[in-house]
Amino acid sequence: MGVSLKAGLLAGWTAVSILAVTATGPAAAASLDLTIGALLESTGPLSELGPPHEKATKLAVEAANKAAKDAGFDATVTLTSADSQGDPQAALSAARTLVDKNAACIVGPATTPESISVLNGITLQRKISLWPTATSTRLRTVKDGGTIFRTVPADDLQAKALVLAIEKHIGKGKNVAIAYRNEPYGDALSKGFTKNWEDEGGKVVATVVYDPQQASFDSEAGQVVASNADAYVVIDYPETYAKFGAALVRTGKFDAKKLFVPDAMAFAKVPDSIPGEAINGAYGVAAGAPTGTESVALFNKLWDEAGGVPNTSLTANIFDATILCFLSSVEAGSAEPGAITGKVRSVTQEGAPQFTIANLGDAVKAASAGKPIDYVGVSGAFRFMENGDPSSSPYDVFQYQDGKQVTIEQVQVQ
Amino acid sequence: MAGSNEAGKADALQPHGAGTLRLSRPVLLLLVIVVLFAALVALYGFDATAQATVNGLVAGGYLGLGAIGLSLILGILKLVNFAHGDLLVAGAYFTILFGWLGLPLVVAMLFAMIATAALAVLTEKVVWQPLRQAGAGTLQLFLSAIGLALVLRFGIQFFAGSQVRTLGADIVSSITIGPIHLGTLQAVALVTGLVVMAVVGLALRFTGIGKEMRAFADNRALAEVSGINTRRIIDVTWAASGFLAALAGILYAVAIGSFNPNFGVTLLLSLFAATVLGGIGNAYGALIGGLVIGLSQEWSTLLLNARWKPAVGFALLILMLLLMPQGIFGKARRRS
Repeated sequence: MGVSLKAGLLAGWTAVSILAVTATGPAAAASLDLTIGALLESTGPLSELGPPHEKATKLAVEAANKAAKDAGFDATVTLTSADSQGDPQAALSAARTLVDKNAACIVGPATTPESISVLNGITLQRKISLWPTATSTRLRTVKDGGTIFRTVPADDLQAKALVLAIEKHIGKGKNVAIAYRNEPYGDALSKGFTKNWEDEGGKVVATVVYDPQQASFDSEAGQVVASNADAYVVIDYPETYAKFGAALVRTGKFDAKKLFVPDAMAFAKVPDSIPGEAINGAYGVAAGAPTGTESVALFNKLWDEAGGVPNTSLTANIFDATILCFLSSVEAGSAEPGAITGKVRSVTQEGAPQFTIANLGDAVKAASAGKPIDYVGVSGAFRFMENGDPSSSPYDVFQYQDGKQVTIEQVQVQ
Repeated sequence: MAGSNEAGKADALQPHGAGTLRLSRPVLLLLVIVVLFAALVALYGFDATAQATVNGLVAGGYLGLGAIGLSLILGILKLVNFAHGDLLVAGAYFTILFGWLGLPLVVAMLFAMIATAALAVLTEKVVWQPLRQAGAGTLQLFLSAIGLALVLRFGIQFFAGSQVRTLGADIVSSITIGPIHLGTLQAVALVTGLVVMAVVGLALRFTGIGKEMRAFADNRALAEVSGINTRRIIDVTWAASGFLAALAGILYAVAIGSFNPNFGVTLLLSLFAATVLGGIGNAYGALIGGLVIGLSQEWSTLLLNARWKPAVGFALLILMLLLMPQGIFGKARRRS
């Protein structure tokens, strides 16, 4: 025949690869074509988070491809992302786009309402693992069929971190005023904080709740400062705090050094819309990565070498979520969503050989052999509880100095 | 005293025949406000009450100013303009556009108001006039207005993006009068609202075009046979509505500090509430309606947790409409 041997081999090989890619289950172990979807807050109320989160997923996918190559494991990992806009409806349609592009797991979104909408709308039914950075404890009570995993600790831990931060910088047993944007996130975190703060002998002298869409925030701001509290806890998003913070400053009695904010208000650089007087000097907490480990140093190096946006909170957690999806897929020998979801606990198994991003290639080797492993992430080891949440986490305590976020210490919370 | 003056003016705006009971509505409202104020002072002290009152006037001022243009369109052209909130947004974004082109902020604002007026007239030429000529009914017009609102909003989003914007004004500087703190720009917005209300009210009453507009509102066919150029009236009404919407949008954007293209639609319901509460088609009514909503919401924060604030405003709207279905300054509908 006129077909050369080389071309015949090539055609044969192509056919084999196509078969391997289209086939599902362990039979496809030889070759893996994994697509990881990312739901990013590119626009909307949390648009400050979009660019750093996107960069974290990109770095993770690069690391995954490199590890597969190092291990001599035939795998291609691709990233596909969509804008969830901070809106449940938009998040769902963005998630559908990702699934249409064959996303086998979805990293993000950043808020609880979005996560619930994506879960019920698509991921639960298709057993796609969802890795939200939303921190509300409410995600524990939704029926997720074991598809939700969080590499970020939930707000019951964050509430304790806030208590520790205030005790450290203001003092134990003092008076605190809380203000929050009327949403599940603020509601649950405020309740958790109040309970922990009162258990430690402190007093909550005012709890002010506001609707994000109202035309004026001055009465609410007035109530916060009128309480004569020693510290303020404001649970808000940057977009609303631009208005609420300005109203706080206009009261003439606001001191930003008494302000403590949670992770939704953690950004590397203060957005222009928030007046400096409303934020400079304020403290905040956000789930962090253990300091001083080799993984963190390596992650920071990767981040800096890549250029672009500066590092901020939760990027390590998003990076780890993306890596965990990849390793679970390798362990399953499949890019089928349900198979990946079923293997998450096998790659974070206590007592199994430990791997970090420094030896990710070895992790891939072990996982592809079907052995359980324990991936110790940049943000620490993962001990997923029954509900898919980590049981402990370090928290960074930071302060805004001249419009920049400066980490001043770390507390371990469990 | 201010209330009774306004009541007089408002009465003069209306055709004769309003009964004594309806005449006293604004006065009655003023009395209720004074009594409530006194009660709140007795309960919560002067400082807290006065601050809540000022906050209420500021919040109500935005709504009232935004509602004047809506009220004109509703009263004169009988059109429920769901796109009005997006005209407010257009004003704010035109300001950003002209600022970006290098004009100083105040000049950019003026140009933005003119551009928004032109945009409003354009919607008349492209959408409303053809629809009326095609004999569209109330429902068709209503749905077209919702459609136009979406087109405007996403048009703005297409060019300007949906991220948070600011006009770069100083939103933290404040004025202190005794125990009361008030943002400088909030004070400017409130005073502007009061001045514009007076100007629009007087223009409707005394200028030729104002009289023609009222005649047109009362009876379109009669106005036409009396030789009034109805096309001109319609254009002027749209231009005025767009201009006032832009002014309201700009003042809101400047005073609250940051916004995105959705702020119009979030304000729209309150704007309609102010319009209906004040009495459709009445410039004073729109502003007073806005102020009543603002006051009741801010006063409610003294009694209840602020999370109930939006609900209080609308509960009050329902209550007041049960007591005075024509609104504060509205005229009684002739029963047929």
